[in-house]
Amino acid sequence: MDTVARLPFYCVIIPLVASFCMPVLARWKKEFCAPLATLTTGIVFILTLVIANHVIQGIPISYSVAGWDPPWGIEIVVDSLSSIMIILISGISMLILIYSFTAIKHELERIVTGWYYTAFLLCLSGMIGLVISNDIFNMYVLIEITGISACALVAAKGTRLSTEAALKYLLLATIGSGFILFGIGFIYMITGHLNIFFIAEELALVRDSYPILIWTTLSFFVVGFGVKAALFPLHLWLPDAHSSAPSPSSAVLSSLVVKVYIIAFLKILFIAFGLEIFHETFIRHLIIVLAVIAMLSGSFFAFVQIELKRRLAYSTVAQIGYVFLGIGLGTPWGLAAAMLHIIVHAFMKTCLFLCAGAIAYKTGRKHVNEFTGMGYLMPITMGAFTVAAFSMVGIPLFGGFISKYGLALGSLEANLPLLILAIILSSLLNATYYFPIIGQAYFSQEEESENGHGKRRFQRDQIPNSMLVPIVIVALGIIYLGIFPGTVLHFINQTVTALL
Amino acid sequence: MDLELILLNFPYFVSIILFSMGTLIVLTQPNLVKKVIGINIMETSIFLFFIAVGNAHGGIPPIFDPQFPDALYVNPLPSVLMLTGIVVSFSVTAFALALIVKLYIYYGTISAPNFMKLK
Repeated sequence: MDTVARLPFYCVIIPLVASFCMPVLARWKKEFCAPLATLTTGIVFILTLVIANHVIQGIPISYSVAGWDPPWGIEIVVDSLSSIMIILISGISMLILIYSFTAIKHELERIVTGWYYTAFLLCLSGMIGLVISNDIFNMYVLIEITGISACALVAAKGTRLSTEAALKYLLLATIGSGFILFGIGFIYMITGHLNIFFIAEELALVRDSYPILIWTTLSFFVVGFGVKAALFPLHLWLPDAHSSAPSPSSAVLSSLVVKVYIIAFLKILFIAFGLEIFHETFIRHLIIVLAVIAMLSGSFFAFVQIELKRRLAYSTVAQIGYVFLGIGLGTPWGLAAAMLHIIVHAFMKTCLFLCAGAIAYKTGRKHVNEFTGMGYLMPITMGAFTVAAFSMVGIPLFGGFISKYGLALGSLEANLPLLILAIILSSLLNATYYFPIIGQAYFSQEEESENGHGKRRFQRDQIPNSMLVPIVIVALGIIYLGIFPGTVLHFINQTVTALL
Repeated sequence: MDLELILLNFPYFVSIILFSMGTLIVLTQPNLVKKVIGINIMETSIFLFFIAVGNAHGGIPPIFDPQFPDALYVNPLPSVLMLTGIVVSFSVTAFALALIVKLYIYYGTISAPNFMKLK
């Protein structure tokens, strides 16, 4: 028991230490950086599996850092939500790092490779820490670690566009974390505690004395986490940052970094503030309205883009809308669907961005109208792309269907049946911008004469195995989540019963 | 409102005003260096807020003295937290300035409207 309790702490420390070894290692032997980073992430992945195996028996792990018990010390709590999130974070990061082996050599200058892995591992350790930390000031520090290293991941490419996007991201993200820190200040002023459980106890006692202050605090958190997680009117940094970053960075930013902020928000909203404040204030109405606008307008903006990575980035804005919709509904199915969508979307967006990177690597094509014959040129990559796109639209047997179905059930539970219309409309919009790409890739009649025989043949993808394998694994993961969602739903149901 | 109440809560008012000013500067100023200065004003206002929360009127430094067990101490925790906050603010500033230098090399200007357009 005692050893297991220490493991979550090691999950944060191991990547942190490894990240600071990278620049030194890069000066000595540059080619060792990538394997060492992957190995580190692999070790963390195994540790998270051990932790989850322990947590699924129903006992959350609680550990006081440096032996100082809460409320004074920093407490680490791994419940079922955190345990599945750390598996997701370390697993997806490991796949992306394997993909980076060759992709990074292609996309980045040789001199920054070591620093790229530093930023990646720092970001990983920040994300894992943010998910398992139970102390809100500690959360703020980890938010900043994640945020700054995510900006570094964007800026690593060093081109004009990516530098610009990184600066925009940095400025807006700092405003966001400023709002979060001010909110933390308010909470500390009201309750005198920083530990989430103690805040919850104290707030339940004193919340009637400070109604306006609690409103203010909640709105500061919504704005702060809204900027960080790109909730619709605050998403302005996202399309630039995610489209101009190198493909592995885009994948990790889009699938993991924006999600961990939602998890942190979820913990503060449902555990620290509690359900009564959530239902009394009108915060859920605000979240639902913003989420519906995000779902529709995000999809619309994605439809207008012609650059593939920008289209994927705007699609992320729409998908964040789904997650926030589930949180705003606040019903068992709504929350479960939101968490499931966080997981499924992590797989889908990783797959799509890695495919986009692989296509740009092989053919240099970056625009959505250049995909003619791609289904024959790179059948495995395009097949994975198709799986992820179908899942994005919400076709049965793919992961996205389960979470959208859950969202529909959730809106029925919350007695808001009109929201189903918004979900269907957004899914149709998803179809309008993904299906033309797929149709062009497989069924386009142009350029047939180039092949000589008038009939195109399938050929094996001409990309390195280190790029192909992660894409295939992620695509299989989407299908697995679509057909056997039971294991994941078991974790999620445990969380939902704990939260509601 | 009571004048005495305003005077007593003076730091809170100042920090709210500074916070709004800082946010406004970041969002509206075209000059990138001024944007960074805005970020610094914003974060400094939060530091002021935390220090004001921890302050106790007539409190003494929080070093335990066995001769006066009932003495009123200032709460040290917010000040300590803000040390971390200052480090974070420092690193954000350093990173932003580095990016601005790079943008200056690309564009020859540090005025945002020339390139930071919405797409």
